[in-house]
Amino acid sequence: MTGIALRDIRKSYPNGPQVLHGVSLDIRPGEFVVVVGPSGCGKSTLLRLIAGLETTAEGEIEIGGQPAGHLAPQDRDIAMIFQNYALYPHMSVRENIAFGLELRGMPRAERRARAEEVAAILQLSPYLDRKPKALSGGQRQRVAMGRAMARKAGVFLMDEPLSNLDNALRVAMRTEIKELHRRLGATIIYVTHDQTEALSLADRIAVMKGGHLQQFATPDEIYDRPANMFVASFLGQPGINFVKAEQLPDTRGVVGLTAGLRPEALMVHADRPEGASIEGKVILTEMSGAELIVHCETTVGRLVVASQRRTLTALPERIWIGYDLDEALWFDTTSGHRVQPPAESRSM
Amino acid sequence: MKRERLTAFAALAVGLIFLSPVLYTIWMSFQTSDAYYTGRLEFTFDNYATALGQYDFGRYLLNSVLVSGAVTLVSLALSVMAAFAFARFTFPGGNLLFGAVVATLMIPSHISLIPNYLTLAKLGMLDSYAGLILPAISNGFAAFFLRQYIRGIPKALDEAAYMDGATPLKVLWRVIVPIARPAILSMGLFLFITEWNSYIWPLVAVGESELYTLQVGLARLYRINPGEGFLDWPLIMAASTLTLLPVLLGFVLVERHLVRGITMGAVK
Ligand SMILES: Nc1ncnc2c1ncn2[C@@H]1O[C@H](COP(=O)(O)OP(=O)(O)O)[C@@H](O)[C@H]1O
Ligand SMILES: [Mg+2]
Repeated sequence: MTGIALRDIRKSYPNGPQVLHGVSLDIRPGEFVVVVGPSGCGKSTLLRLIAGLETTAEGEIEIGGQPAGHLAPQDRDIAMIFQNYALYPHMSVRENIAFGLELRGMPRAERRARAEEVAAILQLSPYLDRKPKALSGGQRQRVAMGRAMARKAGVFLMDEPLSNLDNALRVAMRTEIKELHRRLGATIIYVTHDQTEALSLADRIAVMKGGHLQQFATPDEIYDRPANMFVASFLGQPGINFVKAEQLPDTRGVVGLTAGLRPEALMVHADRPEGASIEGKVILTEMSGAELIVHCETTVGRLVVASQRRTLTALPERIWIGYDLDEALWFDTTSGHRVQPPAESRSM
Repeated sequence: MKRERLTAFAALAVGLIFLSPVLYTIWMSFQTSDAYYTGRLEFTFDNYATALGQYDFGRYLLNSVLVSGAVTLVSLALSVMAAFAFARFTFPGGNLLFGAVVATLMIPSHISLIPNYLTLAKLGMLDSYAGLILPAISNGFAAFFLRQYIRGIPKALDEAAYMDGATPLKVLWRVIVPIARPAILSMGLFLFITEWNSYIWPLVAVGESELYTLQVGLARLYRINPGEGFLDWPLIMAASTLTLLPVLLGFVLVERHLVRGITMGAVK
């Protein structure tokens, strides 16, 4: 098991703008870290720097406590799974899995056995002699995993490994990756733009935007105490609602703050409820399994509510949205940083 | 259906037209000289025996195979490595160097004829295999063509191999070369045929008949032909066929490897 430390990593591509603006992360041995952020924010670049595929312009990388910035990729004890799998097209599944072992000088019989063992874990045994082009997307993905696993590297890097799979397969592979992590005990750094994957897989999530690290914390922490409005809006589906304090009836006196209300913290009522509420009208509804997502146009702008479907009967056009400011997150409207709740709301 | 058959028929007809000189050459090479000039039909293998025995075409054939083979292997090796370097690495002066390689494509080979001759004369390499081979082994076109092909191979494959523990040479040999095999074989065939058909340089660089290549030997055949004023065409055609066959054979051998689509399934 290998820990990784990044200190103030900065990177710009030749004649391009700066892509990473001083990213620091301390990743513990055996930790499953998910790096998440919108596309183009520098996630892949960060991963490739750790792999040694890009050379760092500034900052330090330590792998297993040793400075590693000067090491070539093949000297870093790191395995990587690429977004497009990058399987060797001219090699069979067996050869793909065993290639890294061969390059590291493992005897033939031993690497055969190891490849077969890995293939069995990934349910690839029937396909060992096939070429990648004769495999389905999901099988290719497994071969890519197998290639990384065979080497028993201390660190696994995964760059959006599931983004090319259809949804059902993605969910299944997600579970498998989590199980794999438990089995291997290796450190995993997993890049994705999908917040669901981040929340479900990570021990800790690193949220990035525009080459800046926004927050590095556990999924619970990120969801319940996001560092700023970007983190709050990026994680959670459907996204959080922002309402300026000035617009809410019970915080009129508060200036410069914004309340973040998660859709599941809101309630749709057909009649005006007891507590605090906002009047609005239903624009559209989306069914999503147990929940009904209701989009409303209200006096404070558009709000999205996630309701338990059972509790709702037919909705009239005119509705009230009940909220509880104790559940709201508060942000500084200009800087976007999360702040303490204003006194007025706490007193309610 | 009817249209398809028509197309096939037309294609066949055009093919035959293109092939007819070759077929006529082969046909003529089996006739006796007398029969050819008198219009009778009389078949024989004597022309081949004469070409190989009396006129030493066996030796020329060997020379051509040696020289063309060596040129092909060495220039393929050089241009594959150059192409890999140009396609995958950025290094100081890299673009300039690549520009220079491309610029060599614009220099007609006849311009370098005299400088090459003088250089090799100074080195004492005229009248040797080295003198035949060396000037032909740097091929800017091969380097350029293969670089373009290698650039089309996803770089992620190199990177995957580096992560697997490969050195750059291993990446070239175990990943790039197998994937680029169709292009490399096509280029090899092209280089071989070009060198096989090369005439001017072997003519200039070599004076001793033991070092003649087929093309030079064939040209000499016109001059040393016995008989006053008329040429032994069937003999010349037999020699021509000997010159032609290895290339045809090589093409047939390599042709089935010239398939595309080997990168399919590498990256989705
Ligand atoms: N090789 C490169 N050369 C120049 N710019 C690049 C290169 N690779 C990525 N970039 C730029 O760097 C930024 C971050 O890219 P990337 O790390 O791939 O983001 P992500 O993986 O988060 O989508 C993007 O704006 C992208 O255009
Ligand atoms: Mg990316």
